[in-house]
Amino acid sequence: MRQYAMRRLAYVPLIVVTVSVITFFTLRLPWATDPTTLYVNQNTTAEQEEAIRKELGIDKPMFEQFVDWVTDVARGDLGETFRSGQPVWPEIQRRWPINLEILVLSVGFSGLFGISFGVITAVKQNTITDYIFRVFAVFGQSIPDFFLLILLIVLPSIWWNYSPPVGGHVSIFEDPWTNLRLYLPPTLLLGIGGAAGMMRLTRSTLLEVFRQDYMRTARAKGLAGRKVVIAHGLRNALIPIVTLLGAQVTALFFGSLILEQIFSINGLGQFFLISTITSDFPVVQFLVLYTAVIVCLMNLAIDLSYALIDPRVKYA
Amino acid sequence: MATQTQTAAVDFDWAYVPTRPGWLRRMGRLARQHPTGVFGLAVLILFVVCGLFGERLAPYPPDELSVGVPLEGSSVEHPFGVNQLGQDIFSRILAGARISFIISFFAVFLGAGMGSFLGILGGYFGRWLDYVVQRSGEAFAAFPGLVLFLTLRTAFGPGLKTFIIAIAIGALFGGNRVLRGQTILEKHQVYVEAARAIGCSEWRIFIRHVVPNVLPLVVVIMSGALGAAILAESALSFLGLGPEEPSWGRDMSGSNLSLARQGYWHVVVWPGVAISLVVLGANLLGDSLRDIWDPRLRK
Repeated sequence: MRQYAMRRLAYVPLIVVTVSVITFFTLRLPWATDPTTLYVNQNTTAEQEEAIRKELGIDKPMFEQFVDWVTDVARGDLGETFRSGQPVWPEIQRRWPINLEILVLSVGFSGLFGISFGVITAVKQNTITDYIFRVFAVFGQSIPDFFLLILLIVLPSIWWNYSPPVGGHVSIFEDPWTNLRLYLPPTLLLGIGGAAGMMRLTRSTLLEVFRQDYMRTARAKGLAGRKVVIAHGLRNALIPIVTLLGAQVTALFFGSLILEQIFSINGLGQFFLISTITSDFPVVQFLVLYTAVIVCLMNLAIDLSYALIDPRVKYA
Repeated sequence: MATQTQTAAVDFDWAYVPTRPGWLRRMGRLARQHPTGVFGLAVLILFVVCGLFGERLAPYPPDELSVGVPLEGSSVEHPFGVNQLGQDIFSRILAGARISFIISFFAVFLGAGMGSFLGILGGYFGRWLDYVVQRSGEAFAAFPGLVLFLTLRTAFGPGLKTFIIAIAIGALFGGNRVLRGQTILEKHQVYVEAARAIGCSEWRIFIRHVVPNVLPLVVVIMSGALGAAILAESALSFLGLGPEEPSWGRDMSGSNLSLARQGYWHVVVWPGVAISLVVLGANLLGDSLRDIWDPRLRK
């Protein structure tokens, strides 16, 4: 177990480095958008253009640029954005708590509703309750999340003449009420698509577990029905569920971009979007690196959690 | 005489083999058992027709301005109303099917098709091909799709080509793993051993025995890829990253979105309904096909 964890941990830098290298050179392919084109006009002379390139640091050979970037990042210096000339790190520091909150709330809703409805429908297989929830799940998986968020803005204003708050981010520690009034409704809806998939997976996995002999044994020795379902059933269905939760975190990592766009919130997703459109290399490079590190560590944590969930899992 | 009729009565035609009902009748039976699948198929056929001929079926040219009173709601001439520029929303929905159709066509046949092929090949033959495909799939799965798309977009510029490549890559790795697993299961079946015992070559076993047995799953995966591709296309168009053509996602963004906030809901709701309907169709068809073909559910 320990050895496995160490070996997997060694993979993390490998993947992160590969991804960073690929991103770095993909951005500078000969046919890629040249960031200088955004800062020149018809009157810019060749010398001025050269000066801009020099200022942005993209006049040097590609490999030299790469070495410079790596040494800077290793020393904790992320450079300045091309667009505003501001240091990259404060810009990101300002925005990441917003993304974390959106991520935690929407994945939380997805897990909460997905797993609990999955258990309910599995226990009540082929009843009216089961059918109703399954119909909802198929719809939940088919409606695009941005459409749900738009409906959240449009429908209450038609029906009750009420519009949910848009924009104006306040930290949850300063003013929890305003913060949750802004974030709770949209994250709930953002979680619906995930909850639908989660419910279907939980249901089908549980139904398979219900057929096992140990379930009959648990019942035969007189365990209460609820305890059989939760302690013996759900526990044994948890591995695929946790795997899907991990995939949903990855998907929602910038899936919050949709929410940010519709609710006019200035988060990391928007920042990344604008930076790619304007070929803001330092920002794009660092955000890819940042995502890579977090996603890799999360996947590692999920892999290791399998042993906690099911002691029979052995890492070889 | 009497004995003769008696023997005729018990006379049984041992050579009689009940004929299998014709394919039309078998299809009809299947359709009655899976009404939701039929609905999904009908929606998808409608979608393909709109994707191919949408612009010609539209009652008004989709880009023509002022064909109706701006922002007017539903009427007989304009069933889904008119947008701010006076364009007919129904016509724009018919025309907008094209871009979704092109993207999903490539995602399904190029992405999911090639991914399935690589999955089956890797599952059966294993070795380096399997290793390369599986490791790149893992690396791909570790990254948020949007990050990949935006990086590709910075590198190759906006436009349909980048769009098709990015969504097809997503579809490629989507179903690949499932097929690999199924192929590995099939390859240890007795019929494969039997084929090997009578001297079939590895390629013959692969093409004639293994592939036909996993092929139904490919269709299931393709219908899943169709829904996912349309969702991805509309979300990216909504963010303003799509190509400059009428598209359902794009018609729901920007100024139309702010109009919807002011109460002109019909401007954004109908394109959204169109996307949801097509994805619903693909999901329902996929579910029915899985019910019909998945051997684990056949018990």
